[in-house]
Amino acid sequence: MTDVERLFRTYNAALVRYLTRRLGDRDWAEEVAQETFVRALRQTSIENERAWLFAVATNLVRDEARKDMRRRKHLAILAEQERDEVVEPEETTLERAQEAAMARKAVDALAERDRLALLMREEGLDYNEIAEALQLSSGSVGTTLSRARRRLVESYETLQKSREEREKNAAS
Amino acid sequence: MQHLDEGTIHSWLDGALSADEAARVEAHVKECRQCAAAVAEARGFIAASSRILTALDNAPRGVIPAAAPAKRVDPMVWRIAATVMVVAAGTLVVFRNGVGTAKRDQATVQTAATASGPIAPETLMRDEGTGTTSAPATPGTTQAKPAPTATTRVLLRAPAMEKRGAVGEVAASDQVTRSRNVPPAAASAAQTFAQTGGAAAMDASEQPQALKVVGTPRTLGAKVTLYEVAPGDTVTLTEPTPLQLQSAVVTGVATGVAEQSPTRQAGKAAAAAPMRRADAAAVSAPPVASANAEASRVESANGVTTITWLDPGTGNMLRLSGRMPAARLQEIRLRIERERAAAAKKNP
Repeated sequence: MTDVERLFRTYNAALVRYLTRRLGDRDWAEEVAQETFVRALRQTSIENERAWLFAVATNLVRDEARKDMRRRKHLAILAEQERDEVVEPEETTLERAQEAAMARKAVDALAERDRLALLMREEGLDYNEIAEALQLSSGSVGTTLSRARRRLVESYETLQKSREEREKNAAS
Repeated sequence: MQHLDEGTIHSWLDGALSADEAARVEAHVKECRQCAAAVAEARGFIAASSRILTALDNAPRGVIPAAAPAKRVDPMVWRIAATVMVVAAGTLVVFRNGVGTAKRDQATVQTAATASGPIAPETLMRDEGTGTTSAPATPGTTQAKPAPTATTRVLLRAPAMEKRGAVGEVAASDQVTRSRNVPPAAASAAQTFAQTGGAAAMDASEQPQALKVVGTPRTLGAKVTLYEVAPGDTVTLTEPTPLQLQSAVVTGVATGVAEQSPTRQAGKAAAAAPMRRADAAAVSAPPVASANAEASRVESANGVTTITWLDPGTGNMLRLSGRMPAARLQEIRLRIERERAAAAKKNP
């Protein structure tokens, strides 16, 4: 097994999950993950593999996000079209879709550094790896994570409350 | 000891503190009620944020169409471009006629343009002496070329994902069974379909749920429809749309003759147009499709299967592509055909 194969087998799942959570699209996430491994191929040696891979993936997303406003606009059009079509899905699906939408909103409301630190931590990166990937001091990772978690939960709860109120108003 | 700050508590709960620091924090939390409450709250935040982030894992596939959407150009730009081309072509024809031969007594310039599609100028020169019609403009412009259809992204897939695509028919039936939207009878019918590979099984099954259209990205020269066949699974249907004649411009010395025999001119042009379209259709249809209208071509590359067939209703070549085995795609094709036939019946 080559070194890149080993890297791919060891980190691909976590990297794709991290990117999917970050981007909201699995195909895009896989594409960025693959580009990350292609970059890894060009390296002669990588000191801290996991931190390096997550840092490169994060930078790729940042670069692509800058370049790819057109794709985002198209997504917005698609989302609008989808909203226009009134489809009654099963209740569980609807429930899950609403939860996912609220989670997405809450995550998007976080500051970029907080969001990335949190998503990396969820994939098992330790404080040193997060610090290296995001170029933070390792002493500040705890503060970053505590702030990110609190804000995420608070945003989500706010969204949940307003949704419940809307449903209550609709019922009455 | 001072109260613990939130960052330290999270670091401690995440196991990021050194043994000494962790022991100090632990001792303090045992004695300090306020900090013990803060630790409990932090545990709640950690668990809740993990749960919230898990909800993001259900991200759909193929939200972004495989092909980057064509850059939208204001239709007015196309119209202006068409006008410029028509004037230029007309001037050229008139110039050549005037300088070259005295035989040619007229030139008719026609142009075809669509509201949204690229302009395909078609210049027809009629030689009075021979009565033949020739097209000095590039032959390709007589028919609208379908815009390039979705290019598939070449992906180096994870082994687990490869497996999903590689199991073929089994995966097809498995996918159908897992889908909550498909009734069990339809799922079992789909399984039979996968095993036999025949369309008859589908006809015998219950009517499946209508396919959900999740997008119709605008593409020049083609109508593209994205169908969601299962949560997160989409297929793309591409149908070329022919360009329509919207305007005819007569320039130069042709005016005199056009005035003399407008009926003859119009008749000739009208006769030429369908003939050209028919020729173009015959050229564009692949040999397989022309031999058998029901036959379809199946291609598969990088996990994306594409089937191409001739739609007997419209005479268009339809392309259906998606990340699934051919058998499942054929099943979706049948559903799409049924829906198209029903729609055609409703709006003939």
